[in-house]
Amino acid sequence: MRAGSLCYGPAILVGRLTRFAARLRKPGGGSAVPGLVVNRIAPNYLKRTLSGFPQGLVVVSGSAGKSTTTKMLVAILREHGVDVFTNPSTANISQGLTSALLEQADWRGRVPGEVAVLEMDEGHGALVMQGVDARVVCLTNVMVDQIDRFHDSEMVAGMLGRIAARAGESVVVNADDAYLERLAEKVGPDVSVRRFGVSQSVLDAAPRGLGYTETSTTRLDPAAGVVIDSVEGRTTTLLDEGRRVVAGLPARGTHYAVDAAAAYSTAKAVLGERFSGETAARALDAIPAVFGRGERVTVRGQEVEFVLVQNPASYQLNVDSIEPGTSDILFAIGSDVRDPSYFWPADASSLRRVAIVSGSKAAEAALMLAYDGVGIDRIEPDLARALDDFLAAPAPTAGVKTIVFSADSMRRTRAHLGLTGTE
Amino acid sequence: MSFTIVSLLPTLQNTNGDAQNAQVLAMRARWAGLEADVRAVDDAAVLPDRVDAVVLGSGSDASLEASRERLLGLHDELRRWGTEGVPILGVGTGWELLSWGIETGDGRSIEGLGILPGRAVPRAERVTGDLVVRSPAFGMLVGFENHARDYIGAEGSPLGRVLAGGGNGRDSGQEGVVMGSVFGTHLHGPVLAKNPAFADRLLTIMAERAGVDYTPGGRSEEVDGYAAAARSVQARAAGVEAPDA
Ligand SMILES: [Zn+2]
Repeated sequence: MRAGSLCYGPAILVGRLTRFAARLRKPGGGSAVPGLVVNRIAPNYLKRTLSGFPQGLVVVSGSAGKSTTTKMLVAILREHGVDVFTNPSTANISQGLTSALLEQADWRGRVPGEVAVLEMDEGHGALVMQGVDARVVCLTNVMVDQIDRFHDSEMVAGMLGRIAARAGESVVVNADDAYLERLAEKVGPDVSVRRFGVSQSVLDAAPRGLGYTETSTTRLDPAAGVVIDSVEGRTTTLLDEGRRVVAGLPARGTHYAVDAAAAYSTAKAVLGERFSGETAARALDAIPAVFGRGERVTVRGQEVEFVLVQNPASYQLNVDSIEPGTSDILFAIGSDVRDPSYFWPADASSLRRVAIVSGSKAAEAALMLAYDGVGIDRIEPDLARALDDFLAAPAPTAGVKTIVFSADSMRRTRAHLGLTGTE
Repeated sequence: MSFTIVSLLPTLQNTNGDAQNAQVLAMRARWAGLEADVRAVDDAAVLPDRVDAVVLGSGSDASLEASRERLLGLHDELRRWGTEGVPILGVGTGWELLSWGIETGDGRSIEGLGILPGRAVPRAERVTGDLVVRSPAFGMLVGFENHARDYIGAEGSPLGRVLAGGGNGRDSGQEGVVMGSVFGTHLHGPVLAKNPAFADRLLTIMAERAGVDYTPGGRSEEVDGYAAAARSVQARAAGVEAPDA
């Protein structure tokens, strides 16, 4: 089945030619330019196409975890035999989104798929979603990340509220997030609210809580939603209407279990009677380890663990997940972190010693680590040189070589080491 | 003797990691061979007997009233510390709450605690970015600012002159306010880590009051090298040359 409309033929043709031209200049690379062109000459294309999927549009947004949640949700729906259109996580502003739709569109602009699952940045989402009707909106959490852009959590909560207001059928919220719970109270009478959340024992086992701006004081009653009963290593057990569903996770850590519960609950909202817990668990089991999120790879004959830092909460969780005593750590913060101030509340003292601090924000990162009492052997702002020297050094005396990096440093690392792979 | 550094309202007032300035003071004291502890104080009931320095960070506008309520319970202590010369560092909305008052962009007016002269008034547009200040006492101060209000009435005693960024605004060309040992600034986050001269000034006041000697030592030389590197990168990005003074 296809979403879209006949009248966009000429605009699509122009968009496709633009895409073809963009490809000639930059082989293999997609571009937001075709989307920009189509948005100019057919401004309603995005709105109409997004609203035109036979089984509707599902939007995942929130401060952290939306990318993983979206991937998990898509996997669960596909495992149920649903034909899904989804956007690459980088394409969540309108030009990028239109380009992503054009990638899949036929010559009349129709996009195959029964249902669309979109990851939406909380900043652009409110704008892109103007005039677009969603069936289900899933909100992961409110964290004070990207302070440069959003200034404070109130503003983030406000933007998420505008995205949630587009949901016609269900809003799926994290019950442990007090901001989202307040937001859920405001949805219309025809919209159902579905919830997911951790059990008290899971919360107690998280050394520093869940990292939300404000955590709800009470835990979700298993009768009122999907409860994360336990998290052990890369396995979680969910409680769903009296059933226990055991599922694998792409990496260690409570936040992956929360993402899985979010995806599970949202799939239930989308599929209704067709939903099967076993099928969902099978889909979650099959998701490969996520690059840059605790994934181990072999590079230049060495086993290396990658740890991605995106916001204060994931920074704390990921630092905590590094085996204490790990002797060889490379720590790289790039220009994507405009102001590292908001990482300061996290406590990195468990790292004890870092071999190399790198990236364009190396000095800021070193300063932050030093005041957590972490020893630093060397500062090398040139990431390529830091990587070469780090990997050329002898095998670590304890643990595996571990690289902690921001998203920008991750991309540069991947490019320098010739690693491809998902996200 | 062990220094007790109070981190005030760290749950409500720590948007940018400004509360970690308490940790910076404690760490530098330890590097200098002195004992120091940080105590998180969210209300008067848990106030320690001994207070050598106070750090109050920045929060969101939504928490202004709630923070003010909590601070009112500490009003007498804050006044006393201010007069006795206990160093107090207020950052962002934490500073604003210590002023005469705050006028928000949505028309609210919040009475401050009156510890520092001046008041916060709405500015046309939020300012977010690098802030570089020339301070007579500390040389060049470098950091980030992120605020929706200007600050008026600090003319007599600013922290310094703005070289790049917004600062107090209203064409004052100034940043911050100083009253005795009480400091207010828009330089958010770990301002004391990035500007060790500022930190050492507070530590020297603390040491004098306690009758001990403070000489920066231990790791501070190495770590202040990181600070110097971070400062020069940021000052250059803000278009200010000759970063160290
Ligand atoms: Zn820290």
